[in-house]
Amino acid sequence: MDQQLELLLEIQDLRMQRRGLTDGTLTDLEAEVFDIKIEDAIQSLDEKVEQLAQKLTRGVRERYRRIADKAPRVVAPVINGICYGCFVAVSTARASEADRNLRVESCEYCGCFLYHVG
Amino acid sequence: MQLREFFVPSAIKLDLAAETKDEALKELVSCMGLDGKSEGILYKMLKRRENLGSTGIGRGIAIPHCRSLVVTRLRVAFGRKLSGLDFKAIDEKPVRYVFLIVAPPLEVSNQYLPVLGKIAQFGKEADVPELLAEISSPEQFIELLDAKDL
Ligand SMILES: [Zn+2]
Repeated sequence: MDQQLELLLEIQDLRMQRRGLTDGTLTDLEAEVFDIKIEDAIQSLDEKVEQLAQKLTRGVRERYRRIADKAPRVVAPVINGICYGCFVAVSTARASEADRNLRVESCEYCGCFLYHVG
Repeated sequence: MQLREFFVPSAIKLDLAAETKDEALKELVSCMGLDGKSEGILYKMLKRRENLGSTGIGRGIAIPHCRSLVVTRLRVAFGRKLSGLDFKAIDEKPVRYVFLIVAPPLEVSNQYLPVLGKIAQFGKEADVPELLAEISSPEQFIELLDAKDL
């Protein structure tokens, strides 16, 4: 897998973790069952995301920032040729399985970075 | 929705080889049938969640959990280590029972929260640690979930 794509995946997963703490879905459970201090956790996730973003190459980082400022989803999974950012079939899915995730690709419709799953 | 629907026998390990928390996470991640790269990413995410605070909720039970793009549906695993693992749990006691839960970023059926909640509820029942110590097969583990009607 492309290393930049792997960084983007990690960033996306951390952003989802952060979202679960701020949109109310996981907030109570994390605080009550797991005794997490929500504000500290959010700050720690933000720091980690920024650390990882600094490792992106300039071009990828600039694209990342443009998407990240607008939407919670930066990387969209592609499952059976469908981009799950916009639910449109993407042409990149025609690439052979072996070539998948070997470079950073974006969805031509919604702009998300693409990660081929499965 | 019943918890038993999510557990498959191949992801119920009653005798973990792991000697440490990290090894236990890796061993349970390896039950999920993912490729090596995806396993590595998932492990890293679980570690990142642990870094925010241990998922050891006390009385020997831990519930490591995360969402990740590398999985396409919710998956769970159970691991038991009767000699105990240092999980930096809330009560500082060794962890003997580990419930792993991973989910994709967005699920149509939104099962992550209810499954996590049910497992937490299961883990808080007074007799559960004792009952988990006694089971001797994955089938008995499933029966225990049924008996608790979760
Ligand atoms: Zn798209």
